Amino acid sequence: MNVHPRSLDYDQSSLDRVIPNESELTAGVVIEPGRSYGFFTDTTVCIGCKACEVACKEWNNLPADNLGLTGESYDNTGALSANTWRHVSFIERSGAGGVRDNAQAPFQSGWLMMSDVCKHCHNAPCLEACPTGALFKTEFDTVVVQQDICNGCGYCVPACPFGVVDINTLDGKAHKCTLCYDRLKGGLEPACAKSCPTDSIQFGELSDLQQRAQTRLEQLHARGVTNAYLYGAPGGPGATGGLEHLNAFFLLTERPEIYNLPVAPTRPANRVAGSLAAGLAAVAGLTLLAFLLKE
Amino acid sequence: MKQTEGVVTIVQEGRFQLSDDAGVSHLFILSHAASGEPQQLETLQRRQSRVRVRYRPARNVIGLIAEAIDLLEPAKSEDARQ
Repeated sequence: MNVHPRSLDYDQSSLDRVIPNESELTAGVVIEPGRSYGFFTDTTVCIGCKACEVACKEWNNLPADNLGLTGESYDNTGALSANTWRHVSFIERSGAGGVRDNAQAPFQSGWLMMSDVCKHCHNAPCLEACPTGALFKTEFDTVVVQQDICNGCGYCVPACPFGVVDINTLDGKAHKCTLCYDRLKGGLEPACAKSCPTDSIQFGELSDLQQRAQTRLEQLHARGVTNAYLYGAPGGPGATGGLEHLNAFFLLTERPEIYNLPVAPTRPANRVAGSLAAGLAAVAGLTLLAFLLKE
Repeated sequence: MKQTEGVVTIVQEGRFQLSDDAGVSHLFILSHAASGEPQQLETLQRRQSRVRVRYRPARNVIGLIAEAIDLLEPAKSEDARQ
């Protein structure tokens, strides 16, 4: 078992202060402003324990919502929302012929599980759509909503190609995962990654995570899991339409839409020129029509 | 409108946890109609001030909507005494 040498300095069961740069002990990375940080979520090792959901709600003081049964297997949160910043999807995939098929694929439990989160896009469409500047890029290259500036206009909600940002009707402001901005500033690993028992959610510096993901992908391919691929890594699926790359990216074994992820997400800003031209053409056409009718 | 008294122990954005006299913690979301702003909550938590919260229940959420927060006693910390 690999233990960081610094761990030996903290052998007491209760500490009277926060461990400086604790993330070095828990995630093997020292958090420094000016560098890019993110999540690599390896869905092949997710066991659906929802520790990440609970840790996120605990740390961020988020209330439980969507009460009652969803009727969708073991999923109780349903989707990402203003009060749910981590959502574990449970996708039943028994056999090749669907849930009624008796034959199981080898080494496959019949369930796909994935812990979904804000992708902290490199070119974040929510940030581009925000008219007040409430959404901003932090010194850790993550995207955060400043609550004192958000006016609740909701432009960021349809701008997000992943359906992550949501308005809370109780406080009238936009909310989403902050990648534990307050924890990063204090040298702590984000709560979800720290609580993940299988390391399905890995936190770290982006370049290091991308390298780690590539190694894992090659390992899986060598073991015969040829359908594994990276979603959101530079140049791959999920990093399309001008997004460049996602700071929170995933290793998947099925098509993106199976996990409720868009096949080719795009920045709405890409469509501004076309939309403006169409609008101007429509106005010109209507003016011409009105002129002809008057004649 | 219901009300409760206690000390603000945790603040995150516009959400805060209030520990009442019995030691029970309640989760509140600051209403958009409240006169205070989320950034004022942090001061209440830092100063451990005793407050009275008037609230109403929230639908489909395990939490309460804080409509008004009243400061009940002078703050305890040094910066509050200044």
